[in-house]
Amino acid sequence: MKQALAIAADVRAGRTSATAVVEACLASLPADDAPLRAVTRILADRARAEASAVDAQIAAGRDPGPLAGLPYGVKDLFDVAGLPTTAGSALYADAPPAIADADAVSRLRAAGAVLVATLNMDEFAYGFATINARHGTTRNPHDTSRLAGGSSGGSAAVVAAGLLPFTLGSDTNGSVRVPASLTGVYGLKPTHGDLPMGGVFPFAASFDDVGHFATSVADMIAIWEVLAGTVAPSDNSAIRVARLGGRFGDNVDPDQVAALTAIAPDAPVVVLPDIARARSAAFLITAFEGGALHRAALARDAMSFDPQTRDRLIAGALLPQTLCDEAQAFRVAFRRRVLDLIAPYDVLLAPATPCVAPPVDSPSILIDGEMRPARADLGIHTQPISFLGLPSLAVPLLRSGRLPIGLQLVGKPGGEAMLFRYASMLEQRGITGVSAPVGALQGETA
Amino acid sequence: MATSSRTLPTIDPFLIWLIGTVAAASLLPVRGDAAGWVGLIADLAIALLFFLHGAKLSRAAIVQGMGNWRLHGLVLSSTYILFPVVGVVLVMVMAGHADPLLLSGLLFLTLLPSTVQSSIAFTAMAGGDVAAAVCSASLSNLLGIALTPLLVALVMHGGGEGGVSSWQSVRSIALQLLAPFLAGHLLRPLIGGFVDRHKKLLQPVDRGSILLVVYSAFSAAVVGGIWSKVGLTDLLTLLALSAVVLAVIMGTNALVARLFKLPRQDAIVLFFCGSKKSLVSGVPMAGALFPAAQVGIVLLPLMIFHQLQLFLCAAMAGRFRRQGEALVATEAARAVPRAQDDIARAAADRDMAIPASCMPGVEANLALLDGHAQTLRGDA
Repeated sequence: MKQALAIAADVRAGRTSATAVVEACLASLPADDAPLRAVTRILADRARAEASAVDAQIAAGRDPGPLAGLPYGVKDLFDVAGLPTTAGSALYADAPPAIADADAVSRLRAAGAVLVATLNMDEFAYGFATINARHGTTRNPHDTSRLAGGSSGGSAAVVAAGLLPFTLGSDTNGSVRVPASLTGVYGLKPTHGDLPMGGVFPFAASFDDVGHFATSVADMIAIWEVLAGTVAPSDNSAIRVARLGGRFGDNVDPDQVAALTAIAPDAPVVVLPDIARARSAAFLITAFEGGALHRAALARDAMSFDPQTRDRLIAGALLPQTLCDEAQAFRVAFRRRVLDLIAPYDVLLAPATPCVAPPVDSPSILIDGEMRPARADLGIHTQPISFLGLPSLAVPLLRSGRLPIGLQLVGKPGGEAMLFRYASMLEQRGITGVSAPVGALQGETA
Repeated sequence: MATSSRTLPTIDPFLIWLIGTVAAASLLPVRGDAAGWVGLIADLAIALLFFLHGAKLSRAAIVQGMGNWRLHGLVLSSTYILFPVVGVVLVMVMAGHADPLLLSGLLFLTLLPSTVQSSIAFTAMAGGDVAAAVCSASLSNLLGIALTPLLVALVMHGGGEGGVSSWQSVRSIALQLLAPFLAGHLLRPLIGGFVDRHKKLLQPVDRGSILLVVYSAFSAAVVGGIWSKVGLTDLLTLLALSAVVLAVIMGTNALVARLFKLPRQDAIVLFFCGSKKSLVSGVPMAGALFPAAQVGIVLLPLMIFHQLQLFLCAAMAGRFRRQGEALVATEAARAVPRAQDDIARAAADRDMAIPASCMPGVEANLALLDGHAQTLRGDA
């Protein structure tokens, strides 16, 4: 699969049609996805109709938008008109169909993009593993015996495998950045609340955000501009960079340390205070809000929930409100302190995940010398950033032939454009970039 | 005495007896030779009273609760330093504005030891450290046998109206009280068990002795024309002054507890043991310390103060208890349910039933969340 902007440019220039792009995608997707278990529904009729509409606009001499003819998929928690929004759960498999697209999907459609599939996830987005009882465990395209990460694992895997040029996911505590790091693609968690959440099945409203995956910084920018309804400003000022130290220096891969040193050898190290408390507060708020959201359904029919999430959601539903209030109060004070601390910098560098993708048959990772469940702890470095509501761009280290791992570029609120600028520089220096998986999944599929 | 968990202040039934005795002495005062006999019996009653006090006082309780020196020091300081200072200042301020004998009575009450029974009862009601209260109040009473006469001699010397004549009389008075007290206490190994087992039987002896002293004292006072000297205005003035004393002492003790960062249970002990004065000790001491004609009028402030402190302490004990219950409820409300009973209760509160097969997983997840709660609170 070509990069997104290259496909859109070909469609807009008439070198190919949206219909041809989409038909090729629809022809290859079922077979190519089979070993990944990343796709949950292929929306052939809708995709063909949207592609035809794009082609009709071009034929009529109208601009179909910057994403003309680009096939894409969405995590199973975005409303798609006419389909039930399942959030990866059997509980909602027969829910009434959505009456309209999610706001983000509407914006992409208006920009010429073509929705072809819905994608696998941890049930209700509660996990960092995409282990789903109904749709199976999404595999990592770089090694199908390993996890793709989660909860937007399906969205990351299809982009990493080159099956779709970009996808949408959601990030509550790292659900875009974790799978982006493990599958070796770019993934953005925007400034909290900046991208439209209308029509997205919630998980923990305090942290939920829409995010997207792509294979180049240029693609990331183009898609973000459509989703945000803005244009990244051009800016040539010097970028002030710091590295996050303290807890972000523990539980890291040696390659991440080497890359951070290579990227910014003289950058000051900023240690965020109380980072362990911040992560715990994020954990508690997430558990409380997730549990509260599903309390009625749990009371009604707990056994229909995915066993992987059921017990976690029940436990969250039993947490006292006062504990969540304490965590929220801590969050307010913590955010104020951290914003003061990071005020002198534009970009903060940190690891995205503590390790490469763990095996599917033994989904545990080493944290502080102990084996911990990957499902809960892969987000150790992303969760505190979500807690602060800061934008964070996961960038893949360029290391062809090896299991992917990524870094986070963390910005100040509203600082996405600065993150993109810095990511472009790293991409140009050959430090970051997407490597195609080796083996059966490698190669052009469209 | 308010020993139940009731929170509304109630009239102390014993006060009714006291008022009745004062009324009886006012209407039928004992005179002449009979007065001498009654006085003698009253003296014997005082000796019996202090004998029983000595026998009742448990050294084991004092030794057991002795560890908390800081708390006991604060309680004793309140009883024997703060109270007398407030008394002296108030008497100086009020000099010339109230009957000197009544002011002497006011000063006298500030020199008395703390109560034992009601201090412990209110501490228990308020959720304070009962063992520490037993020790503190007992210690205060024990030391009071010596300290109160000394303080009386120190603060109220100089003779004249409302004064105590000389060190000689103080020493003899101290001996008059101390001797039976020590005798009772030294005999405690022999009679302590009996006294402890028959507290209810001995209570009439206790209270009867006090009523006899009051009757004797007021008879003399009535014969001396107390009711022509003391009017309603004086009684109201005494009530107001008692309120001032209590407000200053209670406020200071609350402040001291905060300054010394006392645990809540200790702060309650200081509040109750440090702000009370013993009628049971005060009546016989007044009987022994003051001329018979003055005892009645000197005791009036103590009787008024005594009832006021019971009112206020009952109200405050109720308030402390509610605060304590709220604290416990807050702690419970903040806690992550861990035990199966707590989990089941939390689920029932949310109209949920946890399938049995989920319970192990739910417990494990709650343990994980509890760990995060502790990390958040800085406990981990």
